[in-house]
Amino acid sequence: MVAIVDPDEDLVRRVGQGDPAAAQTLVSRKLPRILALAQRMLGDAAEAEDVAQETLLKAWRQAPKWTPGKARFDTWLHRVALNLCYDRLRRRREIPMETPPDRPDDGPAPDRALLAAETGAQVDGALIRLPDRQREAVVLCHYQELSNIEAAALMSISVEALESLLSRGRRALRLALADLAPGMKPGMTKGVGR
Amino acid sequence: MKADRLHALAEAYGADLRRWPASERVFAESLIAADPSLKTALAQAAALDALLDASPAPTPSADLTARLLAAAPKAKTRRYHLDRIALFLGAGWAAAACAGVVAGVGLTTHVTADERADAVLYQSTLVEVDDTEVLG
Repeated sequence: MVAIVDPDEDLVRRVGQGDPAAAQTLVSRKLPRILALAQRMLGDAAEAEDVAQETLLKAWRQAPKWTPGKARFDTWLHRVALNLCYDRLRRRREIPMETPPDRPDDGPAPDRALLAAETGAQVDGALIRLPDRQREAVVLCHYQELSNIEAAALMSISVEALESLLSRGRRALRLALADLAPGMKPGMTKGVGR
Repeated sequence: MKADRLHALAEAYGADLRRWPASERVFAESLIAADPSLKTALAQAAALDALLDASPAPTPSADLTARLLAAAPKAKTRRYHLDRIALFLGAGWAAAACAGVVAGVGLTTHVTADERADAVLYQSTLVEVDDTEVLG
């Protein structure tokens, strides 16, 4: 078996030894990533913060017994965070929510910053309306910038299945956001009729 | 790689070739270089990429960061060693004290025995004196 090169290996070892500077570095490096993942998977800031906190607390418990070479620590963190997100998504389906997750109400948009916030909110809205697996594929590949192999492994699917989820997800997003970019054709792809 | 595959990759991964499968990047670049019209597919994908990038990334609150840092693993191993050293030092002092007591008792017994022997010898001498005194 080929040992996996993990850029976080030394950092995790030091965290496990109780090095406060290493813990600080790990938090500044991973917390924004995991928070963004949870926020985009759940579309809810408070729930995303809970997931991020729980993930990092699990990381603290894991660090002293982390075995290098088996997996990348970043991939493990993503796995933990995604499991926590899916737990919450399942609970939402079991207990239907009275109101959808919070969306910023920006009202009129008189300047560029507010326009950008409005666009961001619409993108987030389109993202959260995607089927869970399509959203997961888009979030992992586009926002978290994982390689196709890493994302497919995390989702326990083949690379071909990942590409199919990505294509369908991006096509749905293009349709949902067509008003924001009139030049963007909903069915852009030539010869890919999925 | 054929043009259809390039379209499929743009559809799935977007316009940024860094997000494409590493094994297909070089071929894609050479294909686009040979046929610049294929850039249209990338431009379409780039428009969606730009929209997706408008989604703001949340910033962790200072409170969350502080809570996590407070819960981070502490240097237990080092403290454990210090505890062990303190324990060994304490045990050393206790052993030294015990040894002192044992030595003290032993020495006292030895000295007392010598004194007792001297006393017996002296008393035996006195007995002779007493006999002289009694017998005249």
